[in-house]
Amino acid sequence: MSATPGTPAIAPPHRLPPRVAGWMLGGAGALIALCVWALLSQVLAGGGGVINRLPGPLIVAREFAHYVTGDLVRDLASSLRVFLIGWLGGVALATVAGLLLGRVGVLGNIFLPIVEAMRPVSSIAWVPLSIVWFGFGLTSKIFLVGLAVFLVVIVYAVDGSRRVPDDLARTATMLGMNGWQRFRSLILPGTLAEVLIGSRVSLMAGWGTVIVAELVAADSGLGAHLISVEQSYDVPAVMAAMVAFGLTGFAMNAAFSWVERRLMPWRHERGAHER
Amino acid sequence: MRSVARLVANRVLLPCLGALLVLSLWEATLLAYHLPAIVLPSPWAVAATLVELVGTLAFWRDVGVSLYEFTLGYVIGVVLGVAVGTLMGESRGFRMSAAPVVESLRFIVPFAWIPLTILWFGTSYTGKIVLVAYAVFFVMVVSTARAVAQVEPTLSRVGTMLGMDRWRLAWNVHLRAAAPGIASAARAAAAIGWIAVVAAEYIGASAGLGLMITNAATSLATAVVIAGMIVIGLVGAGVSALIRWGSRTWLDYR
Repeated sequence: MSATPGTPAIAPPHRLPPRVAGWMLGGAGALIALCVWALLSQVLAGGGGVINRLPGPLIVAREFAHYVTGDLVRDLASSLRVFLIGWLGGVALATVAGLLLGRVGVLGNIFLPIVEAMRPVSSIAWVPLSIVWFGFGLTSKIFLVGLAVFLVVIVYAVDGSRRVPDDLARTATMLGMNGWQRFRSLILPGTLAEVLIGSRVSLMAGWGTVIVAELVAADSGLGAHLISVEQSYDVPAVMAAMVAFGLTGFAMNAAFSWVERRLMPWRHERGAHER
Repeated sequence: MRSVARLVANRVLLPCLGALLVLSLWEATLLAYHLPAIVLPSPWAVAATLVELVGTLAFWRDVGVSLYEFTLGYVIGVVLGVAVGTLMGESRGFRMSAAPVVESLRFIVPFAWIPLTILWFGTSYTGKIVLVAYAVFFVMVVSTARAVAQVEPTLSRVGTMLGMDRWRLAWNVHLRAAAPGIASAARAAAAIGWIAVVAAEYIGASAGLGLMITNAATSLATAVVIAGMIVIGLVGAGVSALIRWGSRTWLDYR
């Protein structure tokens, strides 16, 4: 804590290190939010206003614990299966399509306008049609998630396949690379790097689509659970299911960040500087 | 001359060829599999339905309801989001204390709130307005805080030198410098908010485009479903274009 004699201390000694201060402020903020929630639930408990069904945080926590020990694993497995199949399929298709449309000029000119025309129609607008086409089962949900992910990732894939740095392209020419070598060592890695960013962006789009698809075609999964507790007016259980959705989204994001750091460490060099 | 011809070919002819290809594939599927209209109506049936819908009053009422819910929620969400985001960008203490709450709520995607808004507000417009405001709020908070924090430090120093206090600096310098970033976030937020309205109307509503297409789907009026999807896409693209046009005319001082 003491600076070397002769040099003035940069921070006053009573100041907390910034990281600890951050944690304390964050903890205080979270605590205040919880207190406001608890207070509001007390105030609104007896009222006949619009929001007269707000359980306190403790009740929701208890309900969440109950859900975790109960059906959560089954529901989560069902939702995650839909999500993973749709997400992986969407990313794979978008990568292939992006390479084709990005590198083959004629194909790009023919089909990219169609992709652009489809993009404003979010995959969520496809939900009713998908149910008419594929019914309430797994297929319609996988189709929807795949579509959502595809429409996000293809933009990144086309962009990545076209944006080959000039100096690298000249180096490749200088090294006398043929078409296949160029593709393998220049175009493909650049595209995959962009696809990785796109698949991160598409995580939340895909997860949101899973939620809506399961809410509408409620046969299995977290969304179906959410609808069934909603229909029995069980507000604590509804909020517990929302917590489960939030935690799953958070965990997916964290897992993806970890994989991304593994695959492309240079993307995180700024984080390394801060150490 | 040749380059003009090539541009026309690339920008007009080939896209038209693509559209033609999709339409003929669509027709070919119908012919090959003898699909009934409740599974896949022909493109002409969809076009005819669209024209027919535009002539009815009920259609415009649905569009109006959805747009009303969206606009009100969007404005509330943007105003609150920019205000809280600016506070977070300006004050380190506030940023640190609000971050855990914002970050944890951000992961509960707006769609997961739909059942709760129905329990709280029924099938009224209020529930959708709250939902849109929620969806837009978090997009705006995060990107406003980032845009404000990334304002060129020289600008802040100039402001301080001119004798501005902290809040004058925030209002007159930081918010204006961050405006282009905030405007592009506002466009992304509009897309999310618009689709949140549609999703909320699927599950519990008394009017709106989302209800229109789920009702059409349950009565197997597939042509109406596809026509409704096209309208949803057009309105979304229109809103996005409007915001881009607005931000270009009002914020173009770069």
